[in-house]
Amino acid sequence: MKKLILIVTYTIFWRNFLKIIIGLKYYNQQILRKKKQFILIANHNSHMDTMAIMSSMPSRYIHRVHPVAAEDFFGGNRFKEILMRYMVNATLIPRKRANSEEDVDPIEVMSNLLKKGRSIIIYPEGSRGAAGVMTDFKKGIGYLVKQNPTVDVIPVYLDGLYKTLPKGKNLILPYNCRIIFGDSINFDSFDLEDIINAAEKAIHKVKSLVE
Amino acid sequence: MEKIINSIDLSSQIQWVIAIILSILVIASISFWIWNKLSPSKLVKEMTLRTKSWWGMCFIFLFASTVNPIITYIGLAFLSFFTLREVYTLLKLRDSDRSTLLVCYLSIPIQYYFAYQGWYTMFLIFIPVFMFVIIPFLLVLSGDTDDIIRSMCILPTSLMLGVFGISHLALLISFPEMNEGNISGKALLLFLIFITEANDIMQFVFGKIFGRHKILPKVSPNKTWEGFIGGVISTTIIGYYMGFLTPLNSWQLILVSFCIAILGFMGDAIISAVKRDFGVKDMSNSIPGHGGFLDRIDSLSTTSSPFFHLIYFMVIA
Repeated sequence: MKKLILIVTYTIFWRNFLKIIIGLKYYNQQILRKKKQFILIANHNSHMDTMAIMSSMPSRYIHRVHPVAAEDFFGGNRFKEILMRYMVNATLIPRKRANSEEDVDPIEVMSNLLKKGRSIIIYPEGSRGAAGVMTDFKKGIGYLVKQNPTVDVIPVYLDGLYKTLPKGKNLILPYNCRIIFGDSINFDSFDLEDIINAAEKAIHKVKSLVE
Repeated sequence: MEKIINSIDLSSQIQWVIAIILSILVIASISFWIWNKLSPSKLVKEMTLRTKSWWGMCFIFLFASTVNPIITYIGLAFLSFFTLREVYTLLKLRDSDRSTLLVCYLSIPIQYYFAYQGWYTMFLIFIPVFMFVIIPFLLVLSGDTDDIIRSMCILPTSLMLGVFGISHLALLISFPEMNEGNISGKALLLFLIFITEANDIMQFVFGKIFGRHKILPKVSPNKTWEGFIGGVISTTIIGYYMGFLTPLNSWQLILVSFCIAILGFMGDAIISAVKRDFGVKDMSNSIPGHGGFLDRIDSLSTTSSPFFHLIYFMVIA
């Protein structure tokens, strides 16, 4: 049921809407076809980012891909939570790492998903930030890759989507924009800093793939 | 399906033109293929890519213009939409212009509805009169006056470039007096597009072969006096021989083709200057080898409206 909802909303509605009306172009989308499980990392400037990434997922495993969203922003009331769970297939996590035993640890939530064979979409910058600017990555991606070194990490660069729906606006407008997928990252060392640097470099490399 | 096939109703003249277009494409494809086998170069590669895109564009255009007229209107409206989207992507507009941009996009279906109904006066005044007042006022309503004059000028002008000119192509097939007796709007549309694109190609070819003296050195280094003059002369000749599509007599045909050639060059030069200001080579990369939509229809956006009114003046009035 959930799979059907996701296929109808993303592979049918959003994909065509983004392609024809918004003017989104997909590059290297075919690399997703061969993958089974991955951590997808992308730069984040707009709510449309998640729509663009989810719409490029093959319908075969779209229900096993979970965008990760901040609990304090997207959760809060029941309606929002149901919407996020069924329409976006999102997993809500707290922004801060657990301090005590009772708190939920965000890294643990994501690791558990990966152990169940699910794929996740995360924005290592943490929040949307200023239009068109890529800020430094948070440490979360480092911990996640360190704990799950066998999972592929796919870098994605989203170009121009911040224009279609900027932060603080609620009108979606058409602008030509691009989503570019890169090959999965090979990490030389699994040191926390090295992982973060490699991930950042990979996204900048993807950006230069299509010029 | 049967309905679509039955709705294809082509006069013998239009069939002739389709045959001519297809044979030009076949000849061009074969000759570039042979040229590429004999001496491969970057120019041939680009020309092959361009010819490939021409195949696609011709098929889409011929399909849209010969099947049901409704598809022609929808197709042309989408052409306007893609053009505007391209321009707005490159323009650096203010955040407070966003709601006005939506109105600019919404004016496309309204303008094409007037074209579909053949409401000549409304069609003519909707953008140059109404939108030129409505858009600045909506910008005022948004309350942000910093740099407002720039948006006030750019947005209505973008509609003139992307919507007003192109929509005359749609008016050609719906205007009642353009479809009476021996006059056919479809044939006129085909004539206009054929001559405009032939002018583009001829100016390009003459410029590549004989080009020595630059005509607009600061704006477009590829445009030369040789290309311009050769293009105008050859376009006038082509227009004269394609005259069977129109109800015009010889001197009218020569005048119309000459005007199209000059206006096509003007449109090309205007968009070249705009691109130079944006700091880009092509508007986008939507059509392989050609660039964006506006790169291809730059000359059409300036030729179509004068062509319509020339025909109106010469034949109907």
